Amino acid sequence: MVTIDLSKLNITEANEKIRECGQNGQDVEVINPDAKHNIGVGLTDPINVTVKGSAGYFCGGLSHGATYNIEHNVGWAVGDNIYAGTCIVGGNAGAIAGVGLRGGDVIIRGNMGSRAGQIMKSGTLLCGGDCAFMAGYMMYGGRIIILGDAAENVGQDMSSGDIFVGGKIESLGNDAEIVDMEPGELESINEFLAKYDMSFDGTFTKVTTAGKKLRYGKQEPRHRPQPFFVHSKSSNYWNAKVQEDIWIKGEVGRYRIRGYGASKPVPHLNDIAFAKDVSHVKADITALDGVQLRTTIGGRWGAKPLDLSMPVMIAPMSYGALSKSVKIALARASRLSGISENTGEGGMMDEQREEADQLVLQMLSGRLGFSIQDIQRADAVEIYISQGAKPGLGGQLMAKKVTAEIAEIRGIPMGIDLRSPSRHPDVLGADDLVIKMDELREAMGHRVPLGIKMGAGRVRDDIKIAYKDGFDFVELDGLQGSTGAASTEVLENVGIPTLCAIQEAIDGLKEIDAKDDMDLILMGGIKDGVDAVKMLALGAHCISVGTAAIVAGSCISCMQCHVGTCPVGIATQDKEHEARFDVDLQAQNIHRYLESVRWQMAAITKALGYDNVHNVGREDLVALTPEAADITGLPYVPGHRDHTRPDDNLSTLSRKAG
Amino acid sequence: MCGIAGVMYKQKGSHEIGASLVDMLDGCQHRGPDSTGFALYGDKHEQLQLRFIIPTDEAGKAEAIKNIATLLEKHSAKLVTEESVGCSYHIGVDFGGDLLAFTKEMEEHAKLVSVGHYLDIIKDDGTAHEVDSVYNIGAIKGTHAIGHVRLATESAVRPEAAHPFWATGFEDIAIVHNGQLTNYWKMRRRLQRRGFAFHTDNDSELVAVYLADKMDQGETLNSALETAIDDMDGTFSFLVSTPTEIGYAKDHLAAKPMVLVENDDMIAIASEEVSINRLFPGQSVNSTEPAPGTFKTWSL
Repeated sequence: MVTIDLSKLNITEANEKIRECGQNGQDVEVINPDAKHNIGVGLTDPINVTVKGSAGYFCGGLSHGATYNIEHNVGWAVGDNIYAGTCIVGGNAGAIAGVGLRGGDVIIRGNMGSRAGQIMKSGTLLCGGDCAFMAGYMMYGGRIIILGDAAENVGQDMSSGDIFVGGKIESLGNDAEIVDMEPGELESINEFLAKYDMSFDGTFTKVTTAGKKLRYGKQEPRHRPQPFFVHSKSSNYWNAKVQEDIWIKGEVGRYRIRGYGASKPVPHLNDIAFAKDVSHVKADITALDGVQLRTTIGGRWGAKPLDLSMPVMIAPMSYGALSKSVKIALARASRLSGISENTGEGGMMDEQREEADQLVLQMLSGRLGFSIQDIQRADAVEIYISQGAKPGLGGQLMAKKVTAEIAEIRGIPMGIDLRSPSRHPDVLGADDLVIKMDELREAMGHRVPLGIKMGAGRVRDDIKIAYKDGFDFVELDGLQGSTGAASTEVLENVGIPTLCAIQEAIDGLKEIDAKDDMDLILMGGIKDGVDAVKMLALGAHCISVGTAAIVAGSCISCMQCHVGTCPVGIATQDKEHEARFDVDLQAQNIHRYLESVRWQMAAITKALGYDNVHNVGREDLVALTPEAADITGLPYVPGHRDHTRPDDNLSTLSRKAG
Repeated sequence: MCGIAGVMYKQKGSHEIGASLVDMLDGCQHRGPDSTGFALYGDKHEQLQLRFIIPTDEAGKAEAIKNIATLLEKHSAKLVTEESVGCSYHIGVDFGGDLLAFTKEMEEHAKLVSVGHYLDIIKDDGTAHEVDSVYNIGAIKGTHAIGHVRLATESAVRPEAAHPFWATGFEDIAIVHNGQLTNYWKMRRRLQRRGFAFHTDNDSELVAVYLADKMDQGETLNSALETAIDDMDGTFSFLVSTPTEIGYAKDHLAAKPMVLVENDDMIAIASEEVSINRLFPGQSVNSTEPAPGTFKTWSL
């Protein structure tokens, strides 16, 4: 038994020591815990950790297979996201005990706080006392046993799993119902109680999902898709798109869902231009010579940064929204071009990890397929708050795509219309976010960068929070950024344009005198190297391409990504459809597209008179429209386009160069 | 975007409220690194105590103090004690007139942050220990205190925008708040129509004014907190204090954490148990988490 004194070691030192003991197979006792946060986070060896007192938030979180005995109370989120192992709390637990539980046992001998077992997928959460409101909120599976009373809204929006309540139930949540116990269930509960020296004489009430909201009531009728180019042009009202919308809403009685981002015209990078005449770059085949494009991401606090051959990343897109073949092709293209790939929602695939040199792991609100093993093999981790296409909404994956394999990876029931939570269970403000960041950094051993992905909404405020909370990098996503599925109302109306997002970010950071040390990555409608250099000149450190990479890989922009029957095998989980996607061919196409972006960036950098792309600045830009000038504060030069037409000149360049 | 903490000793007398609160706020500094503030209650002062935020450069400071002297004279308030420390100017005055009119004009022309015979609000940019090192908070004794650490988001980092907030126009009432009132502007307009002035866009200032206004209309702190929970929309956990009471209110969603410990000697409340545990190093405390939509007060 090794004793660790938390009045002498800080939590990072203590957790390193605990992990070291884990490797040596030694049990640990933690003295003077004094309700400190993140005790024992990230431990993946099956040792016993005894906490002699009370622990704070995330005790035993993101661990695997270990046993924690906390003698007194715990704060929020004990046993966060464990796949295996045991947490036993002698006293009371704060909110969200057993959040995201994916296996193993969490035992609270006293009372537990609100939203216990939120988004849990399997395993058992047991409470010996009473429990506060919304037990089993949005749970996807597993079992909650409450021996005492349960407060309001038990089983709110649960998709699956069982809640057994020994005391009285104040009220049932939305889409939850009381059903009879099945044979053997009581025996199984009693067996479980006996395992932890507990017993119960009374009877249980069993709560499960009523299942009325797991699928959208009425499915949208099949109709001929209007491709993006049709969908997004013509008049602003009473056009074909508006008509179709009204007809279909008349039929299904709810909002519509589609893929891609906002299709309405908004001020964008086409509305700004380079101040200098860059037409002389023409087809300069030597453009790449001597131009520095290399970019590192996330070195703010000494973690090992991503090291990119150019300031470009592959945007986060999930295996689920996209087929496995596409994720493999993207990962390979990212490696061939020396940039990074991103897992998106739903965890990391082995094939993707093997193909990608540098892989960013995303953590989303539903924690679907999110594991400590993946954290430990990621090159960076980012907390997803939202995306540009749908700020305020979680991911959506329609039933057709929730196949047995996807359901298994994510830990959810097969065949539901998956609507991921709109917010993280354990991040309700900038103040809690700090503690969550610490948990993740403890789990990563402070080895790799930690970032945040935000859909552009109130960027000016959010960017300050991101900076002050200490993120290594921020990904900002404008409303032109695409998604696999979202309601059209949100797609068109909620986010703000990418151009506004970068400007608000720069302004916000300036207001708090931020140093230039948090790397800013912009995405949302960035289509080529010309856009990329403009974005860098506006103040971004790097850009990210999602839709453009997919289009390079044969997407036809029909916007029916949500349906699950993608004709080119990209946005589908149907094996027959997926077979139409040639991984080798498309990985090469995406790679060549990325190389064209590289060439454009180098050529423009050179033409503007720099040898490092990161030296371009706002003085290199002018606004072509009053709106763009107003948004960016760049000088409005109305006649500019007539003289130099930089965009037109450059748009022909990559063809000639190729 | 903050952390809050409060402590009350049940026996009247001289307790280590300053040192306790510095410890507690240091314990939750991760919730808000930008500024730290304290509202401390001790024995009744003979003179009305006022604390202002003033510029720290010599010229600005002199001008601000001169300006305050003119205002005091205008309202026949006689300066008895004065002290200038950090970014603040703390005075004791003999004053017998209409407090509301007096402080209203004071606030229009100077940054008045604390008014009362028992209360002293000290707040500044920086951490609990940094503020303590300038203002020597650790040496302050009394019966109860509430405090706050802030991460500024919507409004700027300025000492006067830090918590606690004094309830404009009403002496000896202070609040600290963690959360966000979503119906801020609506409630603010309602209070403005009743003649109240607002000096920041910080929703916490509104909580203080709201409660003071209710109590001025004859309601008890208890009943003011009860209506606050219904009238205020959004997420909040706040603490309020008067010369003899301390209380909390928590919204229905319970999105903002709060734990409390009560024993024979004291009540300690904080956003996180780790703060309370600073008062009981090496011990496990029997904490409870107030239920959503509840409030409670304690008296000396």
